Amino acid sequence: MSEFELHEGFIVCPECDLILRESSVEHGFKIVCPRCGTTLRSVVLHSPEKVIALALAGLLFFIPAIFFPLLTLQIAGLEHSGSVWDSAVKLIRSGFLFPGIMVLLTAVVVPLANFIILLTVAIQIQFKRANRITARMFRLYHHMEEWGMLEVYMIGILVTIIKLFHMARIIYDTGFFCFIGLIVSSVGLILVLDEHRFWEEIEQQGRQYVIASEPGKELDEVTFKRERDTLLG
Amino acid sequence: MVCLDCHKVLSVPEDEGDGLCPRCGAKVFLRRPDSIAETWAFLITSLILVFPANILPIMRVDFMGSQEYSTIMDGIIYFFKEGSYGIGIIILTASILVPLFKVIGIALILLSIKFRWRSWLRHKDLMFRFIEFIGRWSMLDIFVIALLMATVDFGFLTSIAAGPAAGFFCGVVISTMLAAISFDTRLIWDAY
Repeated sequence: MSEFELHEGFIVCPECDLILRESSVEHGFKIVCPRCGTTLRSVVLHSPEKVIALALAGLLFFIPAIFFPLLTLQIAGLEHSGSVWDSAVKLIRSGFLFPGIMVLLTAVVVPLANFIILLTVAIQIQFKRANRITARMFRLYHHMEEWGMLEVYMIGILVTIIKLFHMARIIYDTGFFCFIGLIVSSVGLILVLDEHRFWEEIEQQGRQYVIASEPGKELDEVTFKRERDTLLG
Repeated sequence: MVCLDCHKVLSVPEDEGDGLCPRCGAKVFLRRPDSIAETWAFLITSLILVFPANILPIMRVDFMGSQEYSTIMDGIIYFFKEGSYGIGIIILTASILVPLFKVIGIALILLSIKFRWRSWLRHKDLMFRFIEFIGRWSMLDIFVIALLMATVDFGFLTSIAAGPAAGFFCGVVISTMLAAISFDTRLIWDAY
C-alpha cells in the first residue's frame, strides 16, 4: 500500500482526538464522532456551485439590507426610520464607541467579509485555481465565522418590534425584507458549505504550487506511515 | 494528530515541537499551548465584567423631558408585567442566563480538568459546545438597544439612548467568546 492510501484512511476528531477509520459518505448522510458526537463530515453535492450562488445572493441583499431603512415608526403624526447602519452609527455618535464598533463588526463587517471570502474561495475552487492564498482565506473564514451575528440581529429586530408594538405604528420598509433575504442567504450558505470537500480541493489544486515557503518546519505526511504501524503494531 | 483549522490528519513529529500544517499553514500542536491559563484569564475577566453589565443601566428612555434609566432586569420585569412572557424569557435567557451559564460551565470544565474528574465526560463536552453556540446570543440586548436608539428618535417627545452598561455587556460577550475559543476541547477527554 502506498503511504497516501494509508494516510487517507483515517480521520481524527478535532474535539476529542479520537482516531477513526475513514469510510465513504453518500450525500445526505454525515459522519459523526462516536465518542463526542461532533459532526466530522457532512457531504454536500456540488458544494462550490451552491456556495457561489448563495454568496452572490447574500451580497446582492447586503447593501439594501444594511443601509436601507428597516423599520419606520409613526408616533403622534411624526415619523422616523432606522436601518442597521443607523443603529451602529447612532451608538458611536452618542459616545458609545465600544458597543457601536461591536455592532458594526458583528452585524456588518464580518458578515460582509464572510460572504466575499466564501465567494472568492468557491470561485477559485470551481475554476481549479486554488492556491496558498485560497488556503489562507479559508482559514480566515474559519476564524471569523462565529463573529458574524446576523441571526442574532434578526431576533433583535423581532424583540424591538414587540417592544414597540403598543407604542407606535410600525411600517416595514425595504430594508426589512432585504434583511430577511440576507438571513436566508447567510443560513443557506452555512448549510451548503462542505468544508472537507473544499479543503481537499484546495490541497489537490494547490499541489501545482509551492505550498510552504514560509519559515518553520513543515510536518511530513510521509512519516504518518510509521505512526500507523506503531498504532496497530 | 490533527490540524485545528482544516482538520487534516498529520503525524507527530519526532521532537514533539510545533510545525505548520502543509495544507493550510496553521500552527499545529498536540494540544493548544497555555490553553488552560488563557481560558482562566478570559473567564475571570468576564466574571468581573458581568457585575457592571447587569447593575448599571443599559438604556435610558426620554419621555417628554423626563429621563428614565432601566437595567436589563428592569426590561425583563417590564415584559413580564405586560404579559409578554415569551419575550421576557428570551431576554432573560440571552442576557443573564447565558453569560452565567457560560462562566459557570467553563469554570466547571476547567476545574474538572485540574482535579481530573472522570465522570460525565460526554455531558461536559456537550455543555462546552452549547456554551460555544449560545455565547453570541448575549449580543441580542446590544442589538435591541442599538435598533431602538436608531428608530425611536423623536426628539423631545420620546427618544432612547444607551446606558453605561452597554460597553460592559459587549465586554462580557467578547471575553466569554474568547474563553471558549482559547479552550482546547480535547483536554476534557485527556482524563480518559
